[in-house]
Amino acid sequence: MTDLQFLIPHLVKQGVEFVIIGGVAATVHGSSYVTYDLDICYARNRPNLDRLAAALSPYHPRLRGAPEDIPFHWDAETLKHGLNFTLQTDLGDLDLLGEVSGVGTFEQAREVAVVVMLFGFECAVLSLDSLIAAKRAAGRPKDHLVLPELEALREADQDEERDEN
Amino acid sequence: MMNDKAEYRLQHPAPGSAIEAARTFGVDLSLLIERLRLTPEERVRALQQAMTMMDRIRGAARKTTPHNP
Repeated sequence: MTDLQFLIPHLVKQGVEFVIIGGVAATVHGSSYVTYDLDICYARNRPNLDRLAAALSPYHPRLRGAPEDIPFHWDAETLKHGLNFTLQTDLGDLDLLGEVSGVGTFEQAREVAVVVMLFGFECAVLSLDSLIAAKRAAGRPKDHLVLPELEALREADQDEERDEN
Repeated sequence: MMNDKAEYRLQHPAPGSAIEAARTFGVDLSLLIERLRLTPEERVRALQQAMTMMDRIRGAARKTTPHNP
C-alpha cells in the first residue's frame, strides 16, 4: 500500500520537480474511485533526475511485477535512459512518467497544473481538464471508465463565466 | 472546496448534462458531493484510509474456515 502522506511531502522536500497525475490527481479533484498507487510526471532535466534518484534510493525502488532475477540498478542514469517506470518501493507503488498522453512533457503538464496544499506542502496536480484529456488519450477501457465521473466533476465546478458563454 | 452552485448541480442534474450522463452511467453523485465538501488534502487522506481498508480485506473471501473448506 502506498504511503501518500509520507511519499508526497518527501518528494517535495527533496526538491523533486513533479506533477501529480492519474488516480491521486482525480482524487484531489473529487473522484470517488480508489487508486492504489501514486502516478507522477517528472522533469527530465539532469539535476531533477539526480534529485529523484536520490529521493527514492533509500526506499529500494524495483520494477513492479518483474522477475526477481532481472537486474535493475536505480540511479539517474537509469532514469535518463528510460522514460516511464512502474516501480514498487518500500513506500508503496509509484509510477514515474516522463510524458503524459494527451498532455505532453513535465513542462507542459506543469503549465496546466493547479497548486494545492497536501500534507503541508504546495503540490502541482494536473488540472481536471488535462486529466480528462489524458484519460481520453490513454484510450484504455479502465481510463474511459472514469471519464463520466470526471466530466461530471468538471461540469459541477463550471464558473459563472462559462455559464454565460 | 465545493461551492453552493456545484452542490446544487450535482443534486439536480440538468437534462442532457454530463452530470446526468454520469448518473445514468452509474456514478453515485452523492459520493461526489461528499468528496467535494472536503479540502483536497482531506480527499487524499480519505483515499489513504480507503487504501488501507482495501489492503486489509483483499482476498478475505478466499480464506478457508472450518465451516468452508
